[in-house]
Amino acid sequence: MSLEVQVAGETLVLFPERAAWWAAARTLLVADPHFGKASTFRSLGIPVPRGTTSDALERLDALLRRVDVRRILFLGDFLHARRGRSARTLGAVAQWRATHPGIAMTIVRGNHDREAGDVPGVGIEAVDAPLVETPFAFRHVPATDESGYVVAGHLHPGADLVGAGRQHVRLSCFWFGSRSAVLPAFGDFTGLWPITPDPGDRVFVIAGGEVVERVAR
Amino acid sequence: MIDALAEWFTARGWSPFPFQREVWHAYLAGESGLVHAATGTGKTLAAWLGPIAEWIAEGRPVSSAPRRQSYVPLRVLWITPLRALAADTAAALQAPLASLAPEWSIETRTGDTSSAARARQSRRLPTALLTTPESLTILLSRPESLELMRDLRLIVVDEWHELMGTKRGVQTELALARLRAIRPTLRTWGLSATLGNLGEALDTLLGTGAATRSRIVKGETPKQITVDALLPPVIERFPWAGHLGRGMAEPVAAALEHAESSIVFTNTRRQTEEWYRSLLDIRPDWAGLIALHHGSLDRSTREWVEQALRDGRLKCVVATSSLDLGVDFSPVDRVVQIGSSKSVGRLVQRAGRSGHRPGAESRITCAPTNVLELIDLAAARDAVEADEVESRRPVERPLDVLVQHLVTVALGTGFRAEDLRAEVQRTRAFAKLTDEEWQWAIEFVASGGGALGAYPEYARVVRQEDGDYRVESDTIAKRHRLSIGTIVSDGQIAVTYQRGKPIGMVDEVFISRLKPGDRFTLAGKTLEFIRVREMQAWVRRASTSQVTVTSPWSGTRLPISGALAARIRARLDEASRGVFRGPEMNALKPVLAVQQRWSRIPAADEVLIERVRTREGHHLYVYPFEGRLVHEGLAALVAYRLSRFKPISFSIATNDYGFSLLSAEPAPIEANVMFSVEDLADDLLAALNATEMARRQFREIARVAGLIFPGIPRSGKTARQLQASSNLFFDVFQKHDPGNLLVAQAYREVMERQLESARLARTLERLSRARVAITDPPRTTPFGFPLLVDRTRDRVSSETLADRVRRMQLALERAAG
Repeated sequence: MSLEVQVAGETLVLFPERAAWWAAARTLLVADPHFGKASTFRSLGIPVPRGTTSDALERLDALLRRVDVRRILFLGDFLHARRGRSARTLGAVAQWRATHPGIAMTIVRGNHDREAGDVPGVGIEAVDAPLVETPFAFRHVPATDESGYVVAGHLHPGADLVGAGRQHVRLSCFWFGSRSAVLPAFGDFTGLWPITPDPGDRVFVIAGGEVVERVAR
Repeated sequence: MIDALAEWFTARGWSPFPFQREVWHAYLAGESGLVHAATGTGKTLAAWLGPIAEWIAEGRPVSSAPRRQSYVPLRVLWITPLRALAADTAAALQAPLASLAPEWSIETRTGDTSSAARARQSRRLPTALLTTPESLTILLSRPESLELMRDLRLIVVDEWHELMGTKRGVQTELALARLRAIRPTLRTWGLSATLGNLGEALDTLLGTGAATRSRIVKGETPKQITVDALLPPVIERFPWAGHLGRGMAEPVAAALEHAESSIVFTNTRRQTEEWYRSLLDIRPDWAGLIALHHGSLDRSTREWVEQALRDGRLKCVVATSSLDLGVDFSPVDRVVQIGSSKSVGRLVQRAGRSGHRPGAESRITCAPTNVLELIDLAAARDAVEADEVESRRPVERPLDVLVQHLVTVALGTGFRAEDLRAEVQRTRAFAKLTDEEWQWAIEFVASGGGALGAYPEYARVVRQEDGDYRVESDTIAKRHRLSIGTIVSDGQIAVTYQRGKPIGMVDEVFISRLKPGDRFTLAGKTLEFIRVREMQAWVRRASTSQVTVTSPWSGTRLPISGALAARIRARLDEASRGVFRGPEMNALKPVLAVQQRWSRIPAADEVLIERVRTREGHHLYVYPFEGRLVHEGLAALVAYRLSRFKPISFSIATNDYGFSLLSAEPAPIEANVMFSVEDLADDLLAALNATEMARRQFREIARVAGLIFPGIPRSGKTARQLQASSNLFFDVFQKHDPGNLLVAQAYREVMERQLESARLARTLERLSRARVAITDPPRTTPFGFPLLVDRTRDRVSSETLADRVRRMQLALERAAG
């Protein structure tokens, strides 16, 4: 179940697949996929099972079937590390790209992209932050920006919940502040950073296939 | 040759105990064994003098190196569980050398050893090396070190009871098997406190393929142990968990008044800090005469305290289990235990810190922190008088430790699969290793794990053309040596004054929640947090002693042992029949009378269930009196089973006496289903999945198996690229590699060790046969109150209140929706 949110006079749709949809611009916003992270680990002698890349791409495909996307904007950290540029991972990404010829794809470069490098020759363009498209300024790192309401990634935001039986859960979330928003990390093998929202911020957690807003008292 | 030893004793006006002579003779006859006795009764000399006598009998051989002094190559490895003990033990071993074997040298090698000393040791080892299991394992990963062990005769494992039953114990077993493969006639002697399963302890120490004969040697008759209690001045009707403590400060201080030197043992670091303060508050003139000691204090502080205690300069040290072991504090004449000791073995061990001389009497005075703990005290004394001691169960087939060992051996000598398998299976831990598990472990290090297929980019251990497995990459070698070990703690961060003086360590999670200006206690001082920089927390002395945040450590609370739990139930059974023996039970009588009037005191064949309604909702209290860990599993199980009758959410609290389930609606009570032994395995697994227990256990496994790393300083970019939590691994494995044996191990460990499923099954067995007594008390009973308070505290803790409320609100919404 997706959920609509009004921000900077625009409507964004938040998907539990960990992406946001800017309907007016027919643009899908995806932050921090970290493709090739598992492969990076394996190259350093740590066994991570296969499947995280193809899983993420399938998740993207499912979204592309549901909404009429003209463009995908990756908000940084598209690739995890130079070491992770295995032929297999890059091949999978290129192949996936080729199945969507009608969709433009742009990466707003992030800290990992600078080390890992771009993915030239497959039709995925890369630009430096910010990418300003009024009313938004798309960045990787969520710093404030004079040129617009910032939509960013980088943090891998997670919200803490305490449930019955003294359980503690940390869930991936969308975090909207007064001047910037942080999207959840799209990649599977990425982890969460616990956020501490300010009063007035809106937090939407992804709870078992649903996007649920945390309501302040 | 024994005569030489006896003469050394005579020269000091002592004479050897018969058990010491027995160990010397057995050693010289080529035997291995296990010596058990209370601390301070001469076990060290029993193990130490045998190899000296042997060397004398061989004609005092020495090696000489060109242009260097002659020396005696390594003969004895002495393994100690605590590196803090290494220096003290070395001093004790040094004492007889001057007259018996001046050519011998003794050195230590632990995590504290300087790199210069380590470099020297990589060229030449001393005659006797004192080391920890971790440092020994690192030696095994260096082929040149193994070369220096050609003349090794004896391995002594000190405090074996501490290691057995842990993964460090398994690590030690594997190291011993490795050394025995190199030196088949090697003898092994374990030194241990008395255990309930000494035979098993010996078997675990020696493994199955030991070439030597072995025996168990009983040390000097146990010291006389007196257990007494400080009775609370006013018996409160409601035992407020932990809060009787303050009221007990005066009686404790009074008890210490006439002691020359004393140790006050607590069960947690937090309690240590609190009691140190309380004592100073009511006896300000003791400033400078009392100190505190726990594992999170800076090493130099700990060493200063230990030395001052040894010299008799301190009146009192408030300590955790950090002072349980080894070190000889002869001046100590009084020992106080704050709260329940939780196990008989621990009580005896701590009592042994007083009268630390053969034959002297040991006395321990217990101060309860809540009135119900008086039952624990009475029960513990019953067990001590009956000479009852707990057993320690050895760990079975921990594959994470095996995986680590495979890399260690590949780094050291390299290995052939079939040879190493035979060697590993000579340990008790892996005697029953299956083909599947072995194959999986090999593939896990060589190709990334069976079900995953071979990854071309993956190469931790590489199979050579000649069939040997070796580590080829220097990066992997370096990282592996840095991460050897099985102790997993939460990330710790050093706390430092602005000028750079270190104070101690606290949990990283704790620091991450602090704001500048927050005040907390460490090392008995109130500190004001400034900021975190360069992986250190910078603080200054606070101008006020008022703290704003508590407990810098997420301590795990020890559960009471099965032996003690049984004694507690026996004491309650007596009380249910109106029998109150001894001062503790009589002091407790008014409280138990309230319990009886409002509800019931369970007899031996009963299980008590109380239903209490409060503003919060419906509480179901169940009292199996089996210890907290068993109750955790039982509570999850019962909650899961009851939740199948109708949709309901429970909030769970557990302690050593029982557990409580809180729900908005009354819970269905189906006693025959709650405690049924049928479908236990399946239901427990389902209950486990409903909680986070397996996931939490996986943290340790991921670390030991080398999936995640402790913070390695200055490792730069590579380390950043490798950041992933055990949670991530757990998720990825569950999703993409469900057959992963490390995940399976997490479940097994939760079942077997954390929930003590064998004990849980026995408990269910008992409960399913017991008469169920259900009462509806007018309000929360004395038995129930600690549970009520505990849970309340868990919800409304001071500093993170705002955070917690926000989270809980969201949680409630989800539950309602």
